[in-house]
Amino acid sequence: MSDLEKNAAFEAYNQKSHTYGRIACIITLAMLIGAPFLMGFYLGAMPDMAGFVRGFLAVGLVWSVSCIAEYLVYTPMLGAGGSYLAFMTGNLINMKIPCAVNARDMVGAKAGTPENEIISTLSIATSSLVTVVVLAIGVVMLIPLQPILQAPALQPAFDCVVPALFGAMAYKYYRGNLKIALPTLIVMGTLFILVPSLTGSTSFMILPSGAIAIGLALVLNKKSKKGAK
Amino acid sequence: MSILAQLNSPVMYLICGTIIAFVALVCVFFMIRAYKAGISIGMDPVKMKRTITASATFTLLPSIGILLGVIALSGSLGTPLPWLRLSVIGALHYETQVAEAAAEAVGLSGLNATEMTAEAFTTIALLMSFCIMWGMLMSVFFTKRYLGKIGGSKKSESSENSGGGIGDIAMTAMFIGLVSAYVGSYIGDFVSGSGDWLPIAVAVVAGAVMAVFIYLAEKKNLGWLESFSIAGSMIAGMAAAVLFG
Repeated sequence: MSDLEKNAAFEAYNQKSHTYGRIACIITLAMLIGAPFLMGFYLGAMPDMAGFVRGFLAVGLVWSVSCIAEYLVYTPMLGAGGSYLAFMTGNLINMKIPCAVNARDMVGAKAGTPENEIISTLSIATSSLVTVVVLAIGVVMLIPLQPILQAPALQPAFDCVVPALFGAMAYKYYRGNLKIALPTLIVMGTLFILVPSLTGSTSFMILPSGAIAIGLALVLNKKSKKGAK
Repeated sequence: MSILAQLNSPVMYLICGTIIAFVALVCVFFMIRAYKAGISIGMDPVKMKRTITASATFTLLPSIGILLGVIALSGSLGTPLPWLRLSVIGALHYETQVAEAAAEAVGLSGLNATEMTAEAFTTIALLMSFCIMWGMLMSVFFTKRYLGKIGGSKKSESSENSGGGIGDIAMTAMFIGLVSAYVGSYIGDFVSGSGDWLPIAVAVVAGAVMAVFIYLAEKKNLGWLESFSIAGSMIAGMAAAVLFG
């Protein structure tokens, strides 16, 4: 197959990914919003809309902005198929994004290429299915598992899943990129020390942190190109 | 019948299980399509199979952590709703916070089974679904245009190879930014006195073990270890949390 034919085949695949992705998202959204009402019908009590509005004003606005920021940042990383699946299945920062980036690096796919699109979709679909299966098995075994998983001795381990993930990823990404990583980490660390309340909004702080790192990377890239000339 | 017994009834499992099954089918569908498309553009099937294996091993541990979230929430919301929320669209840190805040908004003193009513439950369920749906909603309306604008999906590999890969540099930098925000927050928490040193210690241990994995994979020709590097480093970090905690 020639390069031209490969590109045409990939474009056709990508276009259909958008169509299928949109349909799947619309159906999932309808089911997720409809489910509380269906449950209400069964339980004999519909949602209290005044309480819903109060709750939305208290926490919903913050999370809505966070969702929009996540969408803007991660969609280009994941490509079409990967982003539809990731936004449907959730757990982006703590699982899907590192999982997709890890897979991409392992096979050496470059960002923005058809290979990256395929790898990202395979990775997120696999990750989502594993989560669904683990949770389904866990729910079935919930009663016998409860004493083991909720053993007080194990709680610190499960409280520290996210630091363990980011520690491992930090080594992987910081090495070889110290000129980008160290200034970014110093700025972010200082910011969190000076304004401790920001730790409650770490997901928002990814945006300035990412902007600093990208800015530094572009400057260093420009310098190295100049040096090469 | 008590409220928890109602929330754990077969009908509730049926409602939640149907949605989860639909999303799982969508994942299988996308996975098969991606694999076939990869073959048709000449990708190495071994690489794609490695992606699937690595992603599965990568996800296993965090999934067990998410299962703990289901267990934690099941005491007040029953099992089916947390199972749904954490299988579809949800996130562990999000669900717990929103459920607590939603419970307070509907007049409960907090998220607990003793005060739970059917009306409070359905309101909490609606709020949990509503607050986090924007990523999916934006995907429906904007992803095609957004990706088209940044050109990511249209860039061919040949242009990538000759064009210097600015997108690749920016993506790596974005990830460095993401990691730095979280690691910076652990440092900030500890130095400012609002948190303890455990997350930093766990991150350091996980990072050190990752260094060993990378050394073995790169210097000792044990490339197969790469698939287990993240999960292995995380287990070490979590084990350290048990020892230090």
